[in-house]
Amino acid sequence: MNVLNHYKYVFQMQFLRNAGFLVFMALIQMLISIGIVIGFTYLIPNANTQSILYLATGAPTIILIFTGIVILPQQIGTSKADGYMAFMRTWPVNRAVILAADTTIWLLITIPGIIVATVVAHLMFSPGYDISWTVIPAILLIALTSIGVGYGFSYLLSPVASLAISQVVVFGALMFSPVNFPMERLPEWLQMLHEVLPIYSMSEIMRAALASSTFDVGLGHYVKLMIWCILGYGGAVFILNRK
Amino acid sequence: MILDVKGVTKIYTGSNKSQNIVNDNLSFHINEGEIFGLLGQNGAGKTTLVNQILGLVTPNSGDIHLLGESVLASPVRARTICSVQPQSQVPLGFLTPKQAVTLMGKMRAGKHFDATRVDALFEALSMGEWANIEGEKLSGGAKRLTAFCMAVVVPGRLVILDEPTNDVDPVRRRYLWQVIRDLTKNGTSVILVTHNVVEAEKAVDRVAIIDQGKFITQGTPSEVKRAVSDQLRIELNLAQAFTDLEVPTWALSSHRNGARLMFSIDQADVLATIDWAKVQVDQGLIIDYSLSPTTIEDVYIELTSQKVVDSK
Repeated sequence: MNVLNHYKYVFQMQFLRNAGFLVFMALIQMLISIGIVIGFTYLIPNANTQSILYLATGAPTIILIFTGIVILPQQIGTSKADGYMAFMRTWPVNRAVILAADTTIWLLITIPGIIVATVVAHLMFSPGYDISWTVIPAILLIALTSIGVGYGFSYLLSPVASLAISQVVVFGALMFSPVNFPMERLPEWLQMLHEVLPIYSMSEIMRAALASSTFDVGLGHYVKLMIWCILGYGGAVFILNRK
Repeated sequence: MILDVKGVTKIYTGSNKSQNIVNDNLSFHINEGEIFGLLGQNGAGKTTLVNQILGLVTPNSGDIHLLGESVLASPVRARTICSVQPQSQVPLGFLTPKQAVTLMGKMRAGKHFDATRVDALFEALSMGEWANIEGEKLSGGAKRLTAFCMAVVVPGRLVILDEPTNDVDPVRRRYLWQVIRDLTKNGTSVILVTHNVVEAEKAVDRVAIIDQGKFITQGTPSEVKRAVSDQLRIELNLAQAFTDLEVPTWALSSHRNGARLMFSIDQADVLATIDWAKVQVDQGLIIDYSLSPTTIEDVYIELTSQKVVDSK
């Protein structure tokens, strides 16, 4: 009960403190996700339905990666620099409660972007959505993994190093990851790398959830994401409690 | 006893294996309802000590007990017993002072939180005009007072205030000291971390001066002042910051801060000093002077600025 109350008040504190920024970020997310669906059709002339379906089911994954591994580390860098992180460490609550409240907020700001991009893509291209009930656990697992990994490395590394990683990740996720196109198009060494990194599994799970009649996903991908998720949050909690 | 610190030593190892002793075998205790001043210059080790009391940093040796239990055993318990105003500004973002203070109160007291306490605090500190303005639009002083209210809205058994009066105007500083005094009436103890010695002297029950990680003196303000109690202090305002003024030979210790020159003298030398000062005024070297009993600031300067005094 105490933990729940703490969660509630920490959530309110963090949400109200960032209110203006969060609205702005949610709007940006919408623009980016629509941009991915529409923008890539310029890149690929005469795109067939298959290509568009890849883009339309890739956009939500990009949003979640973008939030967890780009925006979040930037925010953490700022709060390390301006002393807010040090202040949070003095609060009379368990550190995991702060992590949970922040995760909820990050998750919430991705939802409008995902919904808007999906609706827009459906109305413009009808790429063949077939949304399964697995979309809920899929989004949750992908978001938690991405946010967890973002927390892990931004707590572990200096702000400069985590900024560098997030820049590489956002470019890599957009251009060199099998999110918006099939894995087979990548060179073999990149394919091997993606067997280990979480991005490929994220996109496979998301695709199977949004277009279940076209794509299938193995249980292995879920297991792989859970491992990454636990590694990320475990690392973050470890660093938060370190003295 | 609220807090008992025994032989706490904290050593930071630098990148080239150099060892920096930030806290060197510190021991002190704080009783219920007591205001304890922790004075020291920048980098003296005050904040490191506070972080160890909160369980945020683990000492290399020694132990810290809060209400009879070791902080090392349960840091969450330590953070529940203590409430803190950090030295740096709290970035409030879009939070208004009222929201920030209310939420912190709820976080500490849960359902038992009394919302009228927020209004009473704002009233006592004359902060009503800022209550509903977003934090990022507030002045430095208003933000500092908000952070103070967050620490005292539902005070822990031990309230730790790190430079609470920075950026705060003189009128509200007085209100702030009154709020701190009122806290102690309910048995709350306070650690006041500061380098503003003049202000602290009026407020604290006991004081410790820390320099380069060591306590160089501790006790009640009058005990601490006893070392220099038969001395007086003369303070001069120089006509120009660069005036090269020869301090009289009978001056015991001197300290210069821009156009402000202070030195202490024995009571026997009072008349000679006034004559000397008159000559300086007549020559236009100093604008004015004042003579006063020694303060903790004199003790503080004498004990912590040995280098400055020696070089004169």
